[in-house]
Amino acid sequence: MKQTLMGNDAIAWGLIHANVDMVSGYPGTPSSEILTVVQKIKKQLDLPTYAQWGTNEKVGFEVAYAGAIAGKRTCATMKQVGLNVASDALMSASYIGNLGGMLLVAADDPGFHSSQTEQDSRFFAKYARIPVLDPATPQDAYDFVKLGVEISEEFQIPVMLRPVMRVCHAREIIEMDAETHYKPNKGEFKRDIPRWGAVPRKDRFPQGKEQLQRVETLKEYNWNTFLQPEFKKCSGDKLLIIASGTGYGFAKETLNDLQLEADLVKVVMPYPLPNEEIKQYTQKYEKVLVLEEPMPCIEEQISQPNVYGKNTNTTHQIDEISKTSILLALKKIGMYNGANIYEAPKIPDTFEIPKVAPRPPALCPGCPHRDVYYAITKVFRPKKSIYPSDIGCYTLALAQNAIDTILCMGASVSMASGFSIADPDKTVVATLGDSTFFHSGIPPLINAVYQNHKFILIILDNSTTAMTGRQTTPEREHTEVDIKKVVQGCGVECHEYHYSNDLNQSIDFMKSLQEAYKSATGPVVAVVREFCILDGERAPDFIPHDYAVVDEEKCIACDACTTKYKCPPMEYNDNGKIEIDPFLCAGCGACLDVVCPTDAFIKDESRGQ
Amino acid sequence: MENIKYQSVIAGFGGQGVVFLVKVLAICAGNRNIPFLGTENHGMSQRGGAVSCHIKIGDFTNPVIDKNQADLLIGLEYRETIRNLDFLKKEAQVVTNDDPKMPELPFATAKIDAFTKAKNKEFPIQGLNVYMLGITLATVKNFPFSLEEVKEAITQMNAKVAEQNIAILDQAINDIKGESV
Repeated sequence: MKQTLMGNDAIAWGLIHANVDMVSGYPGTPSSEILTVVQKIKKQLDLPTYAQWGTNEKVGFEVAYAGAIAGKRTCATMKQVGLNVASDALMSASYIGNLGGMLLVAADDPGFHSSQTEQDSRFFAKYARIPVLDPATPQDAYDFVKLGVEISEEFQIPVMLRPVMRVCHAREIIEMDAETHYKPNKGEFKRDIPRWGAVPRKDRFPQGKEQLQRVETLKEYNWNTFLQPEFKKCSGDKLLIIASGTGYGFAKETLNDLQLEADLVKVVMPYPLPNEEIKQYTQKYEKVLVLEEPMPCIEEQISQPNVYGKNTNTTHQIDEISKTSILLALKKIGMYNGANIYEAPKIPDTFEIPKVAPRPPALCPGCPHRDVYYAITKVFRPKKSIYPSDIGCYTLALAQNAIDTILCMGASVSMASGFSIADPDKTVVATLGDSTFFHSGIPPLINAVYQNHKFILIILDNSTTAMTGRQTTPEREHTEVDIKKVVQGCGVECHEYHYSNDLNQSIDFMKSLQEAYKSATGPVVAVVREFCILDGERAPDFIPHDYAVVDEEKCIACDACTTKYKCPPMEYNDNGKIEIDPFLCAGCGACLDVVCPTDAFIKDESRGQ
Repeated sequence: MENIKYQSVIAGFGGQGVVFLVKVLAICAGNRNIPFLGTENHGMSQRGGAVSCHIKIGDFTNPVIDKNQADLLIGLEYRETIRNLDFLKKEAQVVTNDDPKMPELPFATAKIDAFTKAKNKEFPIQGLNVYMLGITLATVKNFPFSLEEVKEAITQMNAKVAEQNIAILDQAINDIKGESV
């Protein structure tokens, strides 16, 4: 059956058609839609599937892994930096293995579109000595999910599927099973203490030897199943291109566009590679070019003097692959001498493309975070403060100069500790969201309480994982999981503020924290109860529909709103006055007071409920 | 299978419904059994940031459009149109939301000030994406899909709101009547 699907939809359907019935993970672009779509299919087809967000990737992985030990077919989904968090479990699981198939989906983000690193999860597979499959398109993604689950079950080891953003968020018409005959395995834990409870060194050492043997078996499997048929089609002449994932799709089009003759081998499983067998073929060529992203995983495994790629500085070292970068690489190795056809034509020569201001992502109009950060910088002045923050929508308060550091999930809290020790003359005001707090903010808070680190921590609770598309958080599903109680359980009082669109109230709350800080001997912790403006369930209760307009007579073009408040509808018009874009204004009414020193923002009486 | 190769860029900013148009055209292609490969922006770009989606209709193997390759650019806002001109090949066509600050473009261009029309309540602003698709259908001669095919796809996507969207399509076509690029 043909279906138009996004890559992540295809992965979700692949899981269902592979009889996977336990899926857990943690949201992160570009992986987030996978689990959401599994939840939708579950509802649509009334399936008994477990499909739930874990509190973090490690938890998600471990839930799924235990399921696979008990014989079920399972999957854990995450983005590449999430795998860093889950890696502790993965490294050990790769010795122990599983009975039911377990697929680990780690979505990479070459080009840093929405990630703090450009790391290559295939290297994690290599590090953990588990096989990895690298899809080129949504169709591949669907097919490789089924394949990966089968391989995992056959070899009793987790298998990684590594789609990149251009697979996850590509859309394609794919061929998939017409009907869903869902027959999940029955879960049954079989006690095997030497295996599941393997202790070092007695039980782990033999598992390590098995792991090495398994890698050799997988190389043979890779050769017989995927690689040999590909290499057999090759002529063995001048140029061979070895590509995996998106590298394959880009290479094929480039060769076609440039009308170049070359052999092209698609690598389905970039690790483990049977180097000796591959060498038999690569040595027949004058030059071999490896195209993969973002790091040289295949290239390092098959390195020879005639093999070119990232390590030889032939292909691009950073950013997404492109046909331009392939063309330039072909030039470097003397396989293409024509023009760069991927340069924008200048027509006519006199026409220069005008420069337009960048449009960076911003906090949504009506987002409570904006007010909270406005109040923070108003009360805790930048010169005397340090603002560590974290991973989430609120990171966009960078535009308000209200954030100094971003490292990784949960780091705002531990970095607040570090800064408070290193620079005690300043007030450290750390911020993180509810989902990030549950993900990895609790251990550093306990650390700060027991070691008496003096800083202010503000937890922005909008009851959703907003940045990645509003996935469910623990307290949303189960209100007994309450941030205030958790903080108290860590041994410290929790101040609480229910967000109001009256900015004066937010400022007063920050002042109360400032007072508390003066006499504090450890962390001062607060939770701000907010909402997400895109949250269809909760947001309508909070929006008064007070739309703003500008009284041009009063606007003195002082930049106060465009630098400190930064709400997207506010822009200068041709008269040099601020104008509110009526299509963007959310009607939150928050700017009607405080923001403008001359009170130029007034309520639009012609709009509203 | 039809031997067609057509590459389009649809540009706008977060919230304008660029991805909706990608889905509509994907369904159009699917209904005619033509291969379709496209790429969308998710995540950060949802927050009002620049959005540029690529659509490749025909036999392609990667979803990204390189510079100097696109046949068509649909710009839902003039600055986003300008930002994406690099993707166009010489003979390409542009359909854009117009603005007084928009320069004359060295491409065959259909322009309409859709923001002003929406401000005058001629159509709801949420329908701007569909409105610009209507302008495209009316002005781009070698556009791979017909009005009927697009209407069919819009109905397949969400029958509930299809009526309003189809009305917007028809209105756009009527608004730009007589012009072509």
